[in-house]
Amino acid sequence: MTRSTLINIRNFTLVLLAQVLVFSRIHLFGYATACIYLIFILKLPRHTSLNALLLWGFTAGIVVDMFCNTPGMNAAAATAMAFARNMFLATFTHKGLPDDFIPGAKSIKWGGYLVYSLMCILLFFTILFLLELFTAGHILPLLISIAGSTLLTMLFVIVTECFSFSK
Amino acid sequence: MQSILNLLIKYNHWFLFTLLEGISIVLLLFFNNYHSAVFFTSANGIAGNIYSMITDVEGYFNLKDENMRLVEHNRLLSEELQAMGKELSAYKDSTMLAGNGFVAANRGNFTFGTAKVINGSLNRVNNFITIDKGSSDGVTTEMGVFNEQGVVGIVRQTSENFAIVLPLLNSKSMISCRVKGSNSFCTLKWDGTELQHSYLIDLPRYALFEQGDTVVTSGFSSIFPAGIPVGEIQNLEDSDDGMFYRAKVKLYVNFSSIDNLFIVGHKKKNEQEILEESMNKEK
Repeated sequence: MTRSTLINIRNFTLVLLAQVLVFSRIHLFGYATACIYLIFILKLPRHTSLNALLLWGFTAGIVVDMFCNTPGMNAAAATAMAFARNMFLATFTHKGLPDDFIPGAKSIKWGGYLVYSLMCILLFFTILFLLELFTAGHILPLLISIAGSTLLTMLFVIVTECFSFSK
Repeated sequence: MQSILNLLIKYNHWFLFTLLEGISIVLLLFFNNYHSAVFFTSANGIAGNIYSMITDVEGYFNLKDENMRLVEHNRLLSEELQAMGKELSAYKDSTMLAGNGFVAANRGNFTFGTAKVINGSLNRVNNFITIDKGSSDGVTTEMGVFNEQGVVGIVRQTSENFAIVLPLLNSKSMISCRVKGSNSFCTLKWDGTELQHSYLIDLPRYALFEQGDTVVTSGFSSIFPAGIPVGEIQNLEDSDDGMFYRAKVKLYVNFSSIDNLFIVGHKKKNEQEILEESMNKEK
């Protein structure tokens, strides 16, 4: 097992504990919930193989599902997001970057990173809340939930990025 | 053959993607009636134990409120006891009736237990509550759950030490109810929007109801004994097909602060169910 895998497992555990013990319990105005564990998938290196990305996404999703009694919902959405991630990321890749960079404000500029994160997170929440609607629900609260949760999660993406950028 | 293998290797991530999404969708679809899916919920050992640790810590922060509520509940109970005592002395003359009364017989049909909430959600269309009692404490599915304020929900799944309760605030929950003072019964169902309100969906049109009437459990379903309070009627409207009334009900239970619960089970439930099932088969 390589060093980077161990670091990934450590980050994975920390971010998921924070997610299920703190963030999954906060529902701002009853609509917005932050899914900070997505940051873990966003920040995996560019050349992580697609299969590894899918497994990371699925595992993270199923763990959150176990704690929130939503079997399959987070897992389906996170797997889809992990699948689409490299396609979104390819849009912002330019020459002059090292081969295996970590997506972030340093490597692909603030603008690129924010649009990339927004696309991923919007995709995630759209699938998540559509699956919830599929079991039962209403359209308007669904749209508010998608927008609210996406914005709230973006806020945490920006905050984490500010911290790692200043280092 | 070689080309098929090449195809498989070239598109292997598509197959993995489809497989993982397939697993997710199967979990999503079969959660409700697939009992081994209990592993993927907060009733499994790991999640349940982490949650009960956190709840132990959190419990200290709520002690004051909880005490206030218990004191208040105690006061109500002792008031009730006094009233009962008075009533009982009034009936002393007809001891024959009270001695082998229907009430006493009915009470003997139910067992009661207590449990504590360790996890729960309120913000979804399908909410769940996890409690700290499971099959090893005698909790089984389809047991009724209530607290001192009123009906909370029905046990949906159990593991050895934990159980998941389907509260009234779940679009899949249906509870057989009766409006106090009338004999017609109806079903309580949540529409997924407001936290403190649910709806009686099939009130018969011939029955007369008023705002403020109390809704209690009917006792027909053998899950709850008859007469546990549920809520009070706020307003009446026509149902979508115009065949029934639809009543908005303000629920008595404050779901955002539930903690200690009572669990009730019917001792002769199996007997009743087997009888009802054999009846259905004959049709």
